[in-house]
Amino acid sequence: MSGPSRRRPPARSSARTEAPAPRVEAGPTAAERPRPRPSAEPSRPFLLDFFPLESAAATRLARFFERLRAGRLSTTRCPVEGELHWPPRVACPVCHREALDWVDLPETGTVYAFSPVLAGAPLGMESDLPFIVGLVDLDGVPLRLFGRIVGVEWPALAIGARVRVEPFAVDADRVFYRFRFVSNPPGPITPSSEQA
Amino acid sequence: MTRRVALVGGGAARFGVRAATWAELVQEAGAALFRGVPNLRAADVDSLFVGAAEPERFAFQSHVAPLAAELIGVRPSKILQRTELACASGQSAIRSAYAAIAAGLCDVAVCLGVEKMNLPSMAEANTSMACVMDRPWDGPHGATAPPFFAMVAQRHMLEFGTTEEMLAAVSEKNHRFANANPIAQFYEKSFSREKLLKLPWIAPPLRLGDCSSMTDGAAAVLLVAEERARDYTDTPAWVLGTGQYSGFHNLAHAGPLTEWTGLTRAAREALRSARLEIGDVDFAELHDCFTISEIVEYEALGLCPRGEGGRFALDGQGDRGGSIVINPRGGLLGCGHPLGATGIAQALEVYEQFASRVDPRRQVPDPEVALVHNLSGSANVHSVMIYGRTAPGAS
Ligand SMILES: [Zn+2]
Repeated sequence: MSGPSRRRPPARSSARTEAPAPRVEAGPTAAERPRPRPSAEPSRPFLLDFFPLESAAATRLARFFERLRAGRLSTTRCPVEGELHWPPRVACPVCHREALDWVDLPETGTVYAFSPVLAGAPLGMESDLPFIVGLVDLDGVPLRLFGRIVGVEWPALAIGARVRVEPFAVDADRVFYRFRFVSNPPGPITPSSEQA
Repeated sequence: MTRRVALVGGGAARFGVRAATWAELVQEAGAALFRGVPNLRAADVDSLFVGAAEPERFAFQSHVAPLAAELIGVRPSKILQRTELACASGQSAIRSAYAAIAAGLCDVAVCLGVEKMNLPSMAEANTSMACVMDRPWDGPHGATAPPFFAMVAQRHMLEFGTTEEMLAAVSEKNHRFANANPIAQFYEKSFSREKLLKLPWIAPPLRLGDCSSMTDGAAAVLLVAEERARDYTDTPAWVLGTGQYSGFHNLAHAGPLTEWTGLTRAAREALRSARLEIGDVDFAELHDCFTISEIVEYEALGLCPRGEGGRFALDGQGDRGGSIVINPRGGLLGCGHPLGATGIAQALEVYEQFASRVDPRRQVPDPEVALVHNLSGSANVHSVMIYGRTAPGAS
């Protein structure tokens, strides 16, 4: 895949190379505030909006979003071989059964890898810059979820950090999930300490 | 009984930030193809495969294969289709043409790859790139290519002590080769390691010089059945083998980020079908969408042990004078990465290297065997082809 154009170097990057003092507790950023509802932006086509439609009229996974609105990140699990799916499915990719169970996922996890994004944001996310995305190993289940990590500035974040799942309002109608920083690991992370 | 298939020439439009539309790039590649294969007449072409990743997003155009056929003046009577596999769309066109010719379904196929990526709004272009991922699940978090490959680099640094200098060594090499490639986006633009290490961060630890660019470009090659090869060239590049592996799509299923087993599998299958080993390969066009990609690819291909890809780069083992020449074309880093065109341009490089027709500063001495690799998306799919200067089965 391709990176951003070299024609337009990001204005913020040079400032960001000077690491700011670590600030662990950050207030809500532009990335964390609800967006205006899409109906207020008739000029913005649906196909340039990354967030899925969530209602039962749009998806058979409306229950995922209902549960998320109630504060629970959940997914489907196959009652036959116990396969935990991600994302939730309407047919099990292992046995192709269509009647699946819903299960809540753990609310906490550990950062396996992360990336600050300082430039090159898609449409609608430019004002979120800089932001952090990462892969988080959820506690006690074999699932490593990708998502935004908020509540920490990137130079202060370390692999091994503890985070918790946080549902948030996308706009007046929609909800999505992200991870909120809880704490960094006590000491430096090495591949061997990671497995401990 | 399948037939042998030869790549007998091609041509390319200049890659870069082009003052040209999608359709104009197609026409330039078509004109370059007919210049590059002087014996080719439009009426010879019975099939056209168009590698185009996102013309709907970047050019607001679907049904692109018949449009491309009209633009380059051919009327396919056997097979006309577009192939889409994101960053590997171009190689997909070639693999499809190879399969069709080998099966006897067509005889003379143009494979044309194209992408127009620079739009008036860079954010809109980034949006197009982001829908290569699992859009409703990974996309809303801001999943684009740089942060994914930044995580690969972060893990490689943690697990193996890989450094920014090692990343810069890859970028310096590929930009240096691109200096000698007139179609490259960064033709005659030099980047020292020191300069690369001062470029701004995009997604730390990746800097601007670690990322391939948003590039406009197009390229075309001609694939023909064995009995037609000598009609067009004295120096055919023969398809010896191919392999592919798709391991996952949603980022939750990426597994260990630093171990690209999909590439290992795809290359093993390609080499097995070519009856060769990696040590037989004289040069390789690898998918260096990011510097870290090339480093992990060295390891997945078995060019060096796992974890030592950074050292392999720093020591110049993938450079001229090293154990194998990697990306003499200039790679995606030096040539730019117009998604659909990249795989075609890599194959064209193989043809021209075999014919000893490239700038001496990047010519591999007497190459016999070449490997071409494309990953696509978040390195979830790997596609590999092996070409030889000698026809398979001949000795
Ligand atoms: Zn099942």
